[in-house]
Amino acid sequence: MLSDFFILMKQELVIMVIIFVLLLLKIGADMSNEKMMNLANGLLLLNLAAGFTGNQPGVLFNEMYVTNPLIVLEKNILNLGTLIISLQSFSWLKKHDHVPEFYVLLLCTLLGMFFMISSGNLILFYIGLELSSIPLATMANFDLAAKRSSEAAMKFIMSSAFASGLLLFGISLLYGATGTLTFSEMTALITGSPLHIFAFVLLLAGFAFKISVVPFHLWTADVYEGAPVAVTSWLSVVSKGSVLFVFVSVLYTVFKPIAGNWYNMLFLLSVVTILIGNLFAIRQNNIKRFLAFSSIAQIGFILVGITGSSQVSSASVVYFVLIYVFSNLAAFGVVALVSAVTGREQVSDYKGFYKTNPVLSWVLTIALFSLAGVPPTAGFFGKFFLLMAGAGKGNYIPITIAALNMILSFYYYLRIVKAVFMDANEQPIERLTIPAYSKLAMFICVAGILITGLAGFVYDYIYALSFGF
Amino acid sequence: MGPVALLVLTIAAILFSAGGILVSKFLVRGSVNAQKGQPYECGIPSEGSPWNQFNVGYYLFALLFLIFDVELIFVYPWAVVVKKVGIMALVEIAIFFFILFTGFLYAHKKGALKWM
Repeated sequence: MLSDFFILMKQELVIMVIIFVLLLLKIGADMSNEKMMNLANGLLLLNLAAGFTGNQPGVLFNEMYVTNPLIVLEKNILNLGTLIISLQSFSWLKKHDHVPEFYVLLLCTLLGMFFMISSGNLILFYIGLELSSIPLATMANFDLAAKRSSEAAMKFIMSSAFASGLLLFGISLLYGATGTLTFSEMTALITGSPLHIFAFVLLLAGFAFKISVVPFHLWTADVYEGAPVAVTSWLSVVSKGSVLFVFVSVLYTVFKPIAGNWYNMLFLLSVVTILIGNLFAIRQNNIKRFLAFSSIAQIGFILVGITGSSQVSSASVVYFVLIYVFSNLAAFGVVALVSAVTGREQVSDYKGFYKTNPVLSWVLTIALFSLAGVPPTAGFFGKFFLLMAGAGKGNYIPITIAALNMILSFYYYLRIVKAVFMDANEQPIERLTIPAYSKLAMFICVAGILITGLAGFVYDYIYALSFGF
Repeated sequence: MGPVALLVLTIAAILFSAGGILVSKFLVRGSVNAQKGQPYECGIPSEGSPWNQFNVGYYLFALLFLIFDVELIFVYPWAVVVKKVGIMALVEIAIFFFILFTGFLYAHKKGALKWM
């Protein structure tokens, strides 16, 4: 019984141990920033490695906590994203006074996400969601001197409190209607009565806030712009990825009986999300705002994939999130380095970037090509599988709209590439020395972008673990 | 539960909350004067503007109080079942105390208990 607990919850327990090691070191020892970051990066690497071995499927605490190979894989993807972000934040964080606190908050968020992904019960799901969003507001405020950073934190906590309110109302209605909070018992009790649909709509709104689907996307750009780049990349990749994983599994298991209803809702939301995300991304001049709207558009593509509701679609969502970790973090890695050293974040600052920083320019270009979906990169395969999965239901209208929007998205991704390679600039960003950790992170990302798409076994592996109906 | 019942529930909820405000608005014979708008402190006439800065120390103490408050709430139900569950309960509450105590130590290290 006790050993079960240690084996099944291994990934959470490892994160817990790292949190307490860092916190106790902060209390007891006076370590320099660099030493602390070396230690934290080492521990995160160990955590990533430990995630791959000795996992077993099973349930704990009356089905509150569920784990299976797919959930373990999803947690490993999040671990990978955490490691990359931690490596990238080196040049920003080394000047900061609160290094251990940053890692503790980061890992608390990660722990919340793990519990959220593993939850088999609405209460544990809600606690995980809150644990993953309250420390995030603190992290958004991590540039303590910058007013923009506090504004971002304020906006984030307000909108996430509102989203949590909607979600809780949905949960309470669902509990009132079915009399249970456990996912596996609830499926049989959901019949599609108006009350169930209403509760589902509220839950959907809560989810949509977290992954910034269009009618609920208004906080995204402001928070992304104000928060430090490391936190922005965390918000856009790991935080969204974790909510997407839960979203898919909740839709495909608990709300399976009302699939006809949510299919229509998601179909509408996806079309609107892609369109608005793309149209607003065109006119952004701040590169973080630009990446915010580009991430909104990407979420729209994921929603198209989710509407397919087959094994292919749940596999392609996990696959796309993996690719999205690589490609978005590669772009954010360059932006983070430039922002930490020079403080410049406008698109026009990147004019003539190739003349001074050829390596960083290539990393940025490969990342943007992958986000746009140009064939040799992994982004193409990710989007291809998503659209294929969406087409599985024979509904070609959203697929056509999404495909047309891919062409639209080329315009704004290539606008940055043009600024980097072709435009002249009188004051280009000076030549930057890339720290070893950033180099490693960029190498992982670029390797991931180039290899994940071409190595078929990655998709096959995810497909074998996935489920659908 | 049909759509009508849902509609009735929604309308009843709106009426219940809006009704209270409206009824009190009609029933209460209000008198408006300058003293009424003042914040109630402890009975003596209030001084100065309420829009001044408060010492952040108050909030730090409130946060620290919260640690022990949560601890107390959790220990009560634990004390009821500790005999039935046995040694596991003791281990679990030790872990729980350790987590809270670490947070307290951190606050102490940061100087949250010093009144500035």
